Amino acid sequence: MKINISRQNIYMLLISIFLLIFVLLFSFLVLIPEGKEYREKRTELKKEQRLLMEYQNFHDETHDLLKTLQSENRTIMRAFDTGFNPNKFEKKHASYFASLSVSKNHSLSKEGEFSVYEVNTSSQISSPKNFYEFLESVNKSDWIIGVNFPIEFKREGELIKSSFSIKVYSNSKDVNETL
Amino acid sequence: MKYSYIKPRRKTLLTPELKLILAFFSITLFMLLSTYLFLVFKDYMFDNAKKEILNNRYDLNVSISQMKEQIRSIEVEKLLSEKIYTQNSVLKESITNLFDLVPERITLSRATLLENGLILYGITPNKDVYNFMLQAPLRSIFHKTYSSFYPAKNGWYSFVSTNYIQEDLMQTQSNDEKKELEDED
Repeated sequence: MKINISRQNIYMLLISIFLLIFVLLFSFLVLIPEGKEYREKRTELKKEQRLLMEYQNFHDETHDLLKTLQSENRTIMRAFDTGFNPNKFEKKHASYFASLSVSKNHSLSKEGEFSVYEVNTSSQISSPKNFYEFLESVNKSDWIIGVNFPIEFKREGELIKSSFSIKVYSNSKDVNETL
Repeated sequence: MKYSYIKPRRKTLLTPELKLILAFFSITLFMLLSTYLFLVFKDYMFDNAKKEILNNRYDLNVSISQMKEQIRSIEVEKLLSEKIYTQNSVLKESITNLFDLVPERITLSRATLLENGLILYGITPNKDVYNFMLQAPLRSIFHKTYSSFYPAKNGWYSFVSTNYIQEDLMQTQSNDEKKELEDED
């Protein structure tokens, strides 16, 4: 039996086989790996987006905490950033004393991350009550001031001479310039 | 269709069947290539989006660490200021208590408050008033109390009272108190 296939049909068959092989090769060698990569990248991106969202949330929480702390401690922060001014100190607290003078005692030192310097004060008060009021007002002053030992009270006629040192804590580096 | 012996029918390579096959494969190839291009484009977009996310994450990280540093700094400032304010308040209370301790019959001429002690100068009508009304309460506060008297011109006695707290004893006492509290818990 002789099979009679025309040349044209042979061409068609060859083209069909070639295209079929091309489609198969292209699909298995290029398209499927590319699709796999696409899927992996999509999953990875979603993971990264989730992670970014977590970072963003944490960032927002930290930001809120910082803002709350800043608003709650605004006075303290301002006090640490303000350089000590002896004249201003005398003017502000003069009302508690009959006389008040402030003199620098020690040079600037460091306590942790704060600049600390000691200031000697000598004053005259009419009654110990004035000194109590001064101690109360120190906690509300423009600076962070700790009253230090030794504290001396000496009777001088109708008045009490008091002398004590104070420690001023500051963040500012140019604290010496103000003195 | 007309058949002729004189004029032969023109034969062409692109028969309708072949055209059909070519059309079918062209569509297939177009779909394959467009899918491939779509995937390549998407991959490119994903890469860009990932880069952007990483940049954002880096920026957020930097911002978070800066804010944490600020928070730490504020907390340190807050703690220190609270400590200082408490010390000032305690000092005020101590001085108030000290002056409250002194009875009306005794007059102080000088008082020196030290970190671990107290030195008082004054006059008392007699030693007993001093011993019962001032020294007794001082003894209950301080670990060591020394007093010296010398007669004043008006028949009263001038006195110097030196009082000290022993730091090591204070330490031991506070440790004992802590232990008791822990035991109770």
